[in-house]
Amino acid sequence: MNSRRQPHQALPVIADGVGKRYRRGWALRETSLVIPQRRIVALVGPNGAGKSTLMGLITGLLRPTTGGITVFGDRPTGKGLHPEVAYLAQQKPLYPQFTVTETLMLGARTNPTWDQGYAEHLVEQAAVPLSAKVGTLSGGQRTRVALALALGKRPSLLLLDEPLADLDPLARETVLRTLLAEAREQGITVLLSSHVLAELEGVCDHLVLLHGGRVLLAGDVDQLSARGTSLGQLALNRMREAAAQEEAA
Amino acid sequence: MIWVSWRRQRAQLITLLGVLLVGAAAVVLLRSNMIGAIESLQLTGCVAQTGPECADADAADRFRAAWTNPLHLGQAAILLLPALIGVFLGAPLFARELEQGTHVLAFTQSVSRTRWMVSKLVVALVPAVVVLIALQHLVSWWLSAAGVLGPRNSGSFHFLNFGVEHVSPVAYAVFAFALGTFVGAVSRRTLVAMTAGLGVFTVARFALSDLVGHLVPPQRVEAALGEDLKVYQDGSLVTGRGWLDTSGRVVPDDRADALNLACKRSVTEAGTAKSQEEYLACLPESGLATTYADFVPESLAWQVHLVDAAIFGGLAVLLLVGTALVLRRQS
Repeated sequence: MNSRRQPHQALPVIADGVGKRYRRGWALRETSLVIPQRRIVALVGPNGAGKSTLMGLITGLLRPTTGGITVFGDRPTGKGLHPEVAYLAQQKPLYPQFTVTETLMLGARTNPTWDQGYAEHLVEQAAVPLSAKVGTLSGGQRTRVALALALGKRPSLLLLDEPLADLDPLARETVLRTLLAEAREQGITVLLSSHVLAELEGVCDHLVLLHGGRVLLAGDVDQLSARGTSLGQLALNRMREAAAQEEAA
Repeated sequence: MIWVSWRRQRAQLITLLGVLLVGAAAVVLLRSNMIGAIESLQLTGCVAQTGPECADADAADRFRAAWTNPLHLGQAAILLLPALIGVFLGAPLFARELEQGTHVLAFTQSVSRTRWMVSKLVVALVPAVVVLIALQHLVSWWLSAAGVLGPRNSGSFHFLNFGVEHVSPVAYAVFAFALGTFVGAVSRRTLVAMTAGLGVFTVARFALSDLVGHLVPPQRVEAALGEDLKVYQDGSLVTGRGWLDTSGRVVPDDRADALNLACKRSVTEAGTAKSQEEYLACLPESGLATTYADFVPESLAWQVHLVDAAIFGGLAVLLLVGTALVLRRQS
């Protein structure tokens, strides 16, 4: 059962005019977007740009108000997450009374594609004691356990909502390197969100810039930065333009 | 998935086991003490029947004074247990996950939400029902040892007796549990689910307890004027009473009352000497020939229990389907 599945023919994510409105207003407006295969995608934007909402729509936890979205050709439903997708929510939900071993056991019992050896390796790499209760771990350690849970599933599409926020610089580098290796070896797509583009520059090869619920910029990094402008400068320019347009309107 | 639910529920399951052990020990101890009391009061013969030597005996009164309250408490525990199962096992089951956001963890593994829900329901509910049935039988075993000296004397349809016998306690427990999970899934608040669930359960229990008896086809007995109907004393559940006219048709209540009152008035105006006889003679003349009662005999109490279980079980199924729909809804 260790042989890798053939990567999907259908694209990981196709969003077609997808929008989401909460009671407080629109979080995501009429967004059309394609996330290609075998990419490390940086989903970047200021707080409240709609990053978590977009991820929620991909997982099926949220229902779009307008438009539609497909994940590997299927529409996300409330029945459950697409089997090829793993998701790490921003709050890193874990059962605090479970030990780390039991948390990995949960992954094993609820995912047919579970790779126990790999998950254990990731936890050991982070030097998290296996017998500790999750509730007693530090924020960074919890993130590493949650990451092991998401990666242990061996997904084709990995969604990570602000995975680096609780990590120290050294751990960030380790985590990013692990993700990079995983993505290259297994040919999977990783979607990472952050409000700091600099964090992901140099790791991601695809960029989606969100601002005020709209996509300002989307494309492969080498194409976006072909004209010589740095990625950070490009993003900043687009956001200034958007802000100026908003003011004018 | 069962393992995950078991691990999540472990503390509750251990508590449940503790309740069973403490309950069983208490019942065994109380029962043996009670049998000792029966023997020392020389009432052993009065457990099975109510002979005149038992009815008048001072010993029987002393026994009742000492043991009626403990026996009623045993019954009350079985009546209360379904509510506790609803409040402490049903209500937090999904509410706590939704409140703390850990449902996202479950919803983002390769297990369908429905399977997650079913495994949680089974792991929480099945052991609770098993413990309830065990305690119900233990209390019943204790009540049997007191026989007609104890609460059983008030008949199977007495509120305390009916609620602790046959399938009724299990039906109440499943209903209370389903109600708790549903309110919890909708409100996403543990405390709201616990309190609102308990409130609705209590109201439903009282509101439906009268209705149930009326859903079993009753038998009818008639009595000539001046005679008493045995069904009021023999433990039957009387669901209707009234008057029949000379051709055996039911006289509407308000009309019967008016006629009855008219007869009473005419008698009191006439005098006092033979008033009762005159009153009895007046009734058939006005068209009230006999009295009747519709009743369910005590021997058919099981039918009422089955109706009870069907109602509460049916409501529980609806609530569980509702819970599944709420949990599968995308926000």
